[in-house]
Amino acid sequence: MKLLKVAKREYLDRVRKKSFLIGTILGPVLMAGWILVPGLLMKNAPEGRTVLAVVDITRSLYAGFEASLDDTLSDGSRMFVLRNVPATGDQLDGVKKGLSAEVAAGAIEGYIVFPPDMVEKGTATYFGKKVSNIRTLERIENALNETVVAKRLAVQGLEYAKVTEMLRRVKVETVQVLKGGEKAGGFEQTFLTSFVFIMILYMTILLWGIAVQRSIIEEKNNRVVEVLLSSLKPFDLMAGKIMGVGAVGLTQYAIWGIFAIGISSYALSSGQFAQFVSFEPATIAFFVLFFVLGFLFYSTMFAGIGAICNTDQEAQQLQTPISMCLMVTFLIPLAVMQNPDGTFSTVLSLIPFFAPILMFMRINILMPPAWQIALSVAILLASIYIAGVLSAKIFRVGILMYGKRPDLREVFKWLKRA
Amino acid sequence: MLELFGITKRYDGITAVDALSLRIEPGGIFGLLGPNGAGKTTTIRMIMGVIEPDEGEVRVFGEPFSERIKDSIGYLPEERGLYRKMKILDHLVFLGEIKGVPARVARARGRKWLERLDLGGWADKTVESLSKGMQQKVQFIATVLHEPKLVLLDEPFTGLDPINTEIFKEIIEELQQDGRAVVLSTHVMEQVEKLCKRICLINKGRKILEGSLADIKMQFGQNVVTLRFSGNPAHLERHPGVEHVGTFGQELTVTLAAGTDTNLFLRHALEGGKVEKFEIGEMSLHDIFIAKVKAEGGEVHDEAAQGR
Repeated sequence: MKLLKVAKREYLDRVRKKSFLIGTILGPVLMAGWILVPGLLMKNAPEGRTVLAVVDITRSLYAGFEASLDDTLSDGSRMFVLRNVPATGDQLDGVKKGLSAEVAAGAIEGYIVFPPDMVEKGTATYFGKKVSNIRTLERIENALNETVVAKRLAVQGLEYAKVTEMLRRVKVETVQVLKGGEKAGGFEQTFLTSFVFIMILYMTILLWGIAVQRSIIEEKNNRVVEVLLSSLKPFDLMAGKIMGVGAVGLTQYAIWGIFAIGISSYALSSGQFAQFVSFEPATIAFFVLFFVLGFLFYSTMFAGIGAICNTDQEAQQLQTPISMCLMVTFLIPLAVMQNPDGTFSTVLSLIPFFAPILMFMRINILMPPAWQIALSVAILLASIYIAGVLSAKIFRVGILMYGKRPDLREVFKWLKRA
Repeated sequence: MLELFGITKRYDGITAVDALSLRIEPGGIFGLLGPNGAGKTTTIRMIMGVIEPDEGEVRVFGEPFSERIKDSIGYLPEERGLYRKMKILDHLVFLGEIKGVPARVARARGRKWLERLDLGGWADKTVESLSKGMQQKVQFIATVLHEPKLVLLDEPFTGLDPINTEIFKEIIEELQQDGRAVVLSTHVMEQVEKLCKRICLINKGRKILEGSLADIKMQFGQNVVTLRFSGNPAHLERHPGVEHVGTFGQELTVTLAAGTDTNLFLRHALEGGKVEKFEIGEMSLHDIFIAKVKAEGGEVHDEAAQGR
C-alpha cells in the first residue's frame, strides 16, 4: 500500500535525525529536572549564620525564644545567633534607631521587637533588610509561637509538652481500592503520577501534531508535494504522514519506557522517590491508547491547516485556537481531581477535544464506569473520522494552492464542493 | 492514448485553460508549446490528476482518469521537488515504490540510470549536495523509473547545460521509440522543433494550432529567404512575389507569397546587384506562433515576442 510507503519514509527520516535522539533523551532529563530541581533547591539551600537582635519589652520571652530557635549548622554551631537588647517601651525608639543602623551596616541580619502585650495579642515585628527569606521567617515565627503558647499555658498552670502531646492530630492514611487489590499511597502520589503523565500526553500530542503540520508546509514549499500527488491520492499522503509521525511518537514512548523501567528498578531498590514510579500496567495501556487517539484527532486537524498555509507563521494563527483547546484541558485537571466522577468531569471527559487528557486522568484517579471509557473512545474515533474526512477535502484543494492563504469562507466553499 | 475533451480550469475568475481538446497517440513526441502563462502547466497537472478540471474530461488509455492510472504515467514537474536531506538512491526507490515498483527492482533500475547519467558515484549522497542540473537529472530518473506508458515532461531542459540537454533529448527520443507517448511542454520553441512529431500551440489557455509539425510548416509555407545583397533593397520589392522585405543586421529577410518560384526571385535579385548569400528557410515555430496570434487579433506575450 502506498500509504505505508509514505509512512515508512516519514518514520525513517525522522528517527534517523539527530534532533530526534536529542529530544528523546533530553525530554525525560528536562522533565525530571523540572520536578526534582525545585525540591532539591529547597532542601539544599545554602546555609549560613544569621545574627539577630531581639528587643524583648515583655522581659519574659527571650530565654524561651532562644531555646526554641535551636537550629544548628552542619558543624554543630547555632544557626541563629541572638543578642538580647533589653529596653523599656520608652526607650524603644532610640534602640530601634541604633539597631536599624546596624542592619544597614550589615552587622546584624535584622531585629525582632516583642511588644509589651506580646503574650496577649500575639504579634511581634521583624525589621530587616531582606523580608523575603521565607524559610528564616518561618523558623522565627514557629519558635516564637512555641514560646508564646508555652507562656500562655504556663499562666493557666499547664505544661507545654503535655498539651502538644494531647493535641497531636489524628492522621488518615489513604489507600486506593482497585479491582482485586489495594494501592497504598494517596493524593500526592496520584497527583504526581497523573500530572507527569498528562504533561507528557499534552506535550507529545502537541509536538507531533504540529510536526505533521510543519512537514506538510515544508513539502508544499519545496514542491515535493507535486511529485507525490502525481503518484498518490491526497488522502494517502496525509494519512501516511500522520501514521509515520505517530509511529515516531510511539517509538519515543518505547525508549522512555525502557528508561523508566531502568530508573524505577533503581529507585525501588534504593527506596528513593518510590512514590513517583509505582503505577499499574493498565495505566500505561490507557496512556498509549489516549496518546494514539489524541494524536490522530489533533494531527488530522493540523494537517488540514498545513495544507492551506504557506508558512509556519500563517499556520500558527489558525492553529492557535486548536492548541488552545489542548492547553485548556491542561488547566482543568485540578477541578477534575477534586471530583473525578462529577457531572462536570464526566461531560468534559467525553468531549473529543478534552477526552484524551481528561479521560486518561479520570482513569488514573478513580476508574470511571467502563461504558464511559468506551463512549469517550467511540466519540474520539468518530471525531477522528470526521476530522479526517474534512481535512482530506481541504487537503485535496489546498495542497497545491501557492500564494495567498485562502480565507475561511473559501475553505467552506471547498468543503461544500468536494 | 491520451484524450482531452474540452477541459477548462479557472482560478479566481481567470481562465487558465479554456475548453482545450487534444488527442495524443503513442509513439512520437507531442509538443505542448506556448509562452509562459499560456496554461501548459495547468493542463499537465489536470492530465496528471493533480488538479481536477472545472469542466471537460481527461481520458488516459481510453478510460476516465483514476488513481490506478497514475502508476502508468511519469511526470516531470516544472519545479523540482525532492526531499533535500534524502540520499539519492533511497529517494529514487521511494518514488519508485509509490508508483508501485518493488523496492528491489527500483533500486536496480535506479543504479542503472544513475550510471547512465554520470551520477553513479552519487547514489549515497544527499540531494542537497547536488548541483541544480544534477538534481534535474535525478528528478528525470524518477519520472521514468517505473517505465510509464505516458511521460509528461514540463520544461525538461531548464537549468541544463548544452551537453546535458543533448543527453536528455537522446533519452527522450529513446522513450518514444518504445511505443510510449511523450508529451513535452516548453516555452522555448526552437528547442523542440526538431524533436516533436506533433505539436499544439496554446496561448492564454486556448489552442491556436494543432497538428503534425510537417503539416504546420506546410500550411505556413510562405518561404522566407535570407540574403546578403549589395544592391538597393527597393529593387527586390519590385518582384511580384515579394510580400515583405525586412532588414536583419547585415542581412535581409524576404517573405515570398505562396507558390513563388525562388529561382525566378534569385534571378531578379542578381539583376539588381551582387548576391553574397541566398538561403531558403521555412518559418520557425516561433514566427508561426506570432503570425498566428497576430492573425487572430490577439496580443503576443512579451516573452514570446522576444523569442525567449
